[in-house]
Amino acid sequence: MNSVYSNWSNIFIAHVKRDILTNSRSLIDLISIVGFMILIIILFPLGLGPIKEKLNIVSNAVIWVGLILAIIPSLEKLLQKDFENGWLDQIATSPIPLEIIMLSKGISYWLIMLIPLIITSPIFAILLAMDLKNIPWLVISISAGSLAISLIGLSGSALILGARRGNILLPILIIPLMIPILIFGVGVNEAIKINASPYGNLFLLFAFTLIYLVISPFISALLVRIAIGR
Amino acid sequence: MFDWLANPNRFKKITNKLEPSLMAIALLFIIFGLYFSLFDSPKDYQQGDAVRIMYVHVPSAWLASFLYLSLAVSSIFYLVWKHPLADLISISIAPIGTLFSMLTLITGSLWGKPMWGTWWVWDARLTSMLILFFFYLGFILLHNAFERKVDGSKSASVLAIIGIINLPIIKFSVDWWHTLHQPSSILRFDGPSIDNQMLLPLFLMMIGFCLFSLYIIIVNVKTKLIEKKCEAILLKLNIKEFL
Repeated sequence: MNSVYSNWSNIFIAHVKRDILTNSRSLIDLISIVGFMILIIILFPLGLGPIKEKLNIVSNAVIWVGLILAIIPSLEKLLQKDFENGWLDQIATSPIPLEIIMLSKGISYWLIMLIPLIITSPIFAILLAMDLKNIPWLVISISAGSLAISLIGLSGSALILGARRGNILLPILIIPLMIPILIFGVGVNEAIKINASPYGNLFLLFAFTLIYLVISPFISALLVRIAIGR
Repeated sequence: MFDWLANPNRFKKITNKLEPSLMAIALLFIIFGLYFSLFDSPKDYQQGDAVRIMYVHVPSAWLASFLYLSLAVSSIFYLVWKHPLADLISISIAPIGTLFSMLTLITGSLWGKPMWGTWWVWDARLTSMLILFFFYLGFILLHNAFERKVDGSKSASVLAIIGIINLPIIKFSVDWWHTLHQPSSILRFDGPSIDNQMLLPLFLMMIGFCLFSLYIIIVNVKTKLIEKKCEAILLKLNIKEFL
């Protein structure tokens, strides 16, 4: 075996770079995900009425729900393109472990799609009249939870690989799995609102992220192997 | 042992004998259970006659979670030993589990309106049961979503195994969070805390529901086996339009 293939961190970094490069050539995905997020956020003041107190109460939850909903359309494409042009087939027959590739997919998806959402989240918070003391905690909690969200999304997109009408199926399959992330993510800021310590919820959020970091590459690799039929 | 049981022909031979008596016994248990629960059991001193909803609600909730466990176990069997019968069993279990979890939610909300004053609360037990319902639904949808049926079976099996994480949450939700749903009064360390007169119809209904769902599973699996045989015959005759 070539020494390049035996060094897993090299493979990992190379594939993260590849994904970032291929995605940076067309920014349409990124623009659509941020645009979708902004539109979800806009719908709430229009639906609830522009009363600041009301918006302040729901702002935290709305941003988390918006985050979960906004990434769903882009998840379908996460593995689909590589699956259809045969790249995943090639990788699965090569000596490179598929788990490393899946981990790099999850991380690069987080870097490409969710970092922009984390950066823009203070703007959403201001749009929804969130208190200023909550905003740093919102950013921290979203940074911790979004990696778990993207890893769940990775397993979800591996689950529907090759399915008919997978885009309709995907939300039903992955939203139940995201509920713990939502609960503890929202819990961080709700604790701040009542002047309690947010660390309990935050650490649980980190724990979930770490658990998914361990199991999601294996589940996704298993599902990809099923999809390509070996 | 599993090899011995997993032979489809032997399965058919055994279940052909078992099936009619299973149906009869299940109906017997359900009829007696319904009689005891509706007419010959005491009213609750607080809840009055509404407590009788429990005799349907509790067995169906137990079965919904138990069926999910068996669904996941047979999915593991399918993924590890790749036996087609395990897949037939899990897809036969799924609709029944869906119906039982729906029945749990419906009877629960019928009971909740007079007792709690609301059809639905976002309580941990209720929410986790709703999520169980969505896991069943996702399993069925994913199972049917693929061109090649084997792909659907395998992917859905993985989903079923992931969903196991929900079961301890359902079981312990009433202990971990102090919620509106009352803690369990039967499966506890210091023995059941409800009266024997109420326990009897509950267990009759429980056994009746269990046997009834076993009967339906067997019928479903046999139908699926016949379907597979038909497909094989059609393939052999090269008739494509019926597939």
